[in-house]
Amino acid sequence: MIRARDIVKEYVDGDGTKVRVLDGMSLDVQDGDFVAVVGPSGSGKSTLLHLLGGLDVHYQGEVEVGGVKLRGLDDKALARFRNTHVGFVFQSFHLIPNLSALENVLLPSHFGASREDARKRAEAMLERVGLGAKKDRAPVRLSGGERQRVAIARALFTGPKLLLCDEPTGNLDAATGDGVIQLFKELHREGLTVLAVTHEDRMSAAARRVLRLKEGRLVEERADLHLATRGAP
Amino acid sequence: MDALSRLVRLSLARERKGAFFSAFGVAMGVGALVFFLGLGLGVGRVIREKIFPTDARLVDVVPSAVSLGSLLGGGKLDAATVERLAALPGVEATYRKMNVRVPAVTRYDGVFFGARLRMGMEVLAVGVEPGLVKDDVKLGEFKDPSEGQPIPALVSTRLLELYNKTFAPARKLPQLSANMIVGFGFPVEFNRSYVAATTGGPTGAAQTQVVGASDRAMLAGITIPLETAVRINRQAGVDAETFTGVTLVASDPSRVPAIVDAVKGMGLEIDDQERRMAENTGAAVALVTSALALLSILICILAAVNIAHALSASVRARAKEIGVMQAVGASRADVRGIVLAEAAVVGLFGGAAGTALALLMAFGVNRLAVSQLPNFPFKPDSFFSFPWPVVVGGVLLGLVAALAGAYFPARRAAATDPARTLAG
Ligand SMILES: Nc1ncnc2c1ncn2[C@@H]1O[C@H](COP(=O)(O)OP(=O)(O)OP(=O)(O)O)[C@@H](O)[C@H]1O
Ligand SMILES: [Mg+2]
Repeated sequence: MIRARDIVKEYVDGDGTKVRVLDGMSLDVQDGDFVAVVGPSGSGKSTLLHLLGGLDVHYQGEVEVGGVKLRGLDDKALARFRNTHVGFVFQSFHLIPNLSALENVLLPSHFGASREDARKRAEAMLERVGLGAKKDRAPVRLSGGERQRVAIARALFTGPKLLLCDEPTGNLDAATGDGVIQLFKELHREGLTVLAVTHEDRMSAAARRVLRLKEGRLVEERADLHLATRGAP
Repeated sequence: MDALSRLVRLSLARERKGAFFSAFGVAMGVGALVFFLGLGLGVGRVIREKIFPTDARLVDVVPSAVSLGSLLGGGKLDAATVERLAALPGVEATYRKMNVRVPAVTRYDGVFFGARLRMGMEVLAVGVEPGLVKDDVKLGEFKDPSEGQPIPALVSTRLLELYNKTFAPARKLPQLSANMIVGFGFPVEFNRSYVAATTGGPTGAAQTQVVGASDRAMLAGITIPLETAVRINRQAGVDAETFTGVTLVASDPSRVPAIVDAVKGMGLEIDDQERRMAENTGAAVALVTSALALLSILICILAAVNIAHALSASVRARAKEIGVMQAVGASRADVRGIVLAEAAVVGLFGGAAGTALALLMAFGVNRLAVSQLPNFPFKPDSFFSFPWPVVVGGVLLGLVAALAGAYFPARRAAATDPARTLAG
C-alpha cells in the first residue's frame, strides 16, 4: 500500500538554518495493515503523514501510495489522489463548523467525480460510524468522540483504501478514545489499511505493527508476527 | 457544483456583515456611475432632440458674406448655382429657401384661444420648398395659395416651446400644443413696417393660416411656401432671383464632410451655427459626465480595495477550513474558484442593487422635477436615459470590481499550505 524510499525532509527555520526532520527514511506498509507510528513531539510524525497523503510535495525521495507515484503529479492530479486514495483523520477533527454532520461527510464529493448516490452514501457512512441519527447536527452540537466519528466518515466517503490518522484520539478522553480505537479496529478488519500517528499506548496496542520515528528514520518497534509472515513479499 | 454553491453561500452567510458592506461599497460605486451616465445621456438627448435638433444628413448652404465671392462670380445662390449644388456627389436632394425681402407686420385684435389678444408686431418670413417640411404640414397643401386663400405657414417648434414656457405665462395666455395651432389664422401686411422704411411700393395685405409646427421652420418668424415668397418679392420689386439658402440632403451622414468641402470650394458658406452649438453643449455635458463617471469609478476601485481587505481577512480566518478542503481533494484552482465565486456573488448583488438604486433615484428626480421645478423651456419629461448597455454594464461593473478585489485574496487562499494549517 505504501512504499517510501530515502525520504529527506528539511524545514528552513526562522533564522535561515535548515532543520532536517526526516533523514533518509524508508517505509513499507502492506495492504490491509494497521500501523502505528510513535515518537516524541517534534520528531516529524505529522510531517511524514502529510507527505504520504500528498499534502506536502517539498521533500526528496520517492513515495508510492496505492500504486500511485506522487513525485511529478501536478496540483490537480495530487488533489484527485487525495480525494480518491487516502482519507485523513486529524487530532482536532477539522470539521467545518457551519456545515451539518452530513454536509461535512459530503465535503469530498464537491471535489471529485460527481456521484448521484452521494447523499445516500454519506448517510450510510454516518450510519457505519454510529451517527445515523445525528446526521443533521452542527459540529458544535456533537461530542468530541462524535465529531471524530464524523471526521472518520468523511475520510471514508470516497472509499479510499488508506486511512492516515494524526493523533486521532489526542483530543478525546479515555473512554471516548477507546470507542474510536474500536472503530479503527473494525475498519481494519474490514480490509482498510490504517496508518496512525499516536502518543497513546492504547492506540499503538491496537495496531498490528508499531514503528518509532527516531532521528529522522523509522525503527521497527513491534511487529505482529503472523501478519508479518502473511504479508511478507 | 450545486453543493459547492451551497458552500459559497454558507461562507457568505457566516461573513454576512462583511459581505454586506462589501456589496454596499460596490452598490455605491455602480449606483453613482449608472446614475451619472444616465443623467449625462439623458441631458445629451434633450440637447440633441429638443434644444438643437440637428439632422446629421442636412447641410445648410448660404451665400458668401464676403464680397470676394461675388466678385469672382461665385458666392451667389442663383438657380444655376443650385443646379451645381444638386449635382454634387452624395447630394440626394436640395431645398431652396428665400426670405421675404420686404418688411411685414401682423396686427392681431381678437380672441386668441380663449383669451383676448391685441398686439401688432414685425414678422419675418421665409419661403421654403414643400419637400423640406412635408412631414410637418398637418393642414392642406404647402403651396402658394390661389387668390383669396390664406397663405399656409409653419411655425418653429422651438418658438412654440418658448411661447409656452415664457411668453404665455407672463401674459396669462393659454398654453398651445402643435396640434392646437393648426388652422389658426392671422393677418399679415407685407411691405409695411413699424420700425423701418419700406421700398415704398404697394402694401399687400394677406391672411395666413398656421398649418403645423416644424423643427425646420425659422425660429423668429413664419415659414411659408417658396413660391409665395418669390411672388411677394417680385410684386414688391425686390430680388426674387437669388436664394437666401439651400438645404442639401446627403445620401448618408458620412458624405457630409465631402459635401461641405465641395460647397466651400464653390465660394459658398455653410450655416452650421446650430450644429456647432449642439456640439459644444454636447461636449460640455460629456465632459461633466466623464468627470462624474470617473469619480464613480474611483468609488468602485475603493469598493474593490475594500473587498480585497475583507476577503483577505476572511481567507486568513478560514485557513484551516481551506486546508481541510485541500485534504479531501480540493485543488488550488478549486480553492481559488470558491473565493472568486464568493466575490462574484457579492459583486453581482452589489452591482444589481446599485443599478436598481440609480434607476430608482432617477425616477425620483424626474418626479421631483415635474412637481418642484418651474416649467422652463425645453424642460424634458425625463432628465435620464438608460440604454440597456448602461444597465447591464452597471451590473457587470459590480462583478468586475468584486473579482478584481478578490484576485489577490483568491491567490493567497490557493497558496494555503495544508500541511502547515492542519498540523496539530
Ligand atoms: N512549517 C514548518 N516550518 C518549520 N518547521 C516546521 C514546520 N512544520 C514542522 N516543523 C518542525 O518540524 C519538526 C517536526 O514537526 P511535526 O509536526 O512533524 O512533529 P510531530 O512529530 O508531529 O510532533 P507532535 O507530536 O507534537 O505533533 C518540528 O521540530 C517542527 O518544529
Ligand atoms: Mg504532529
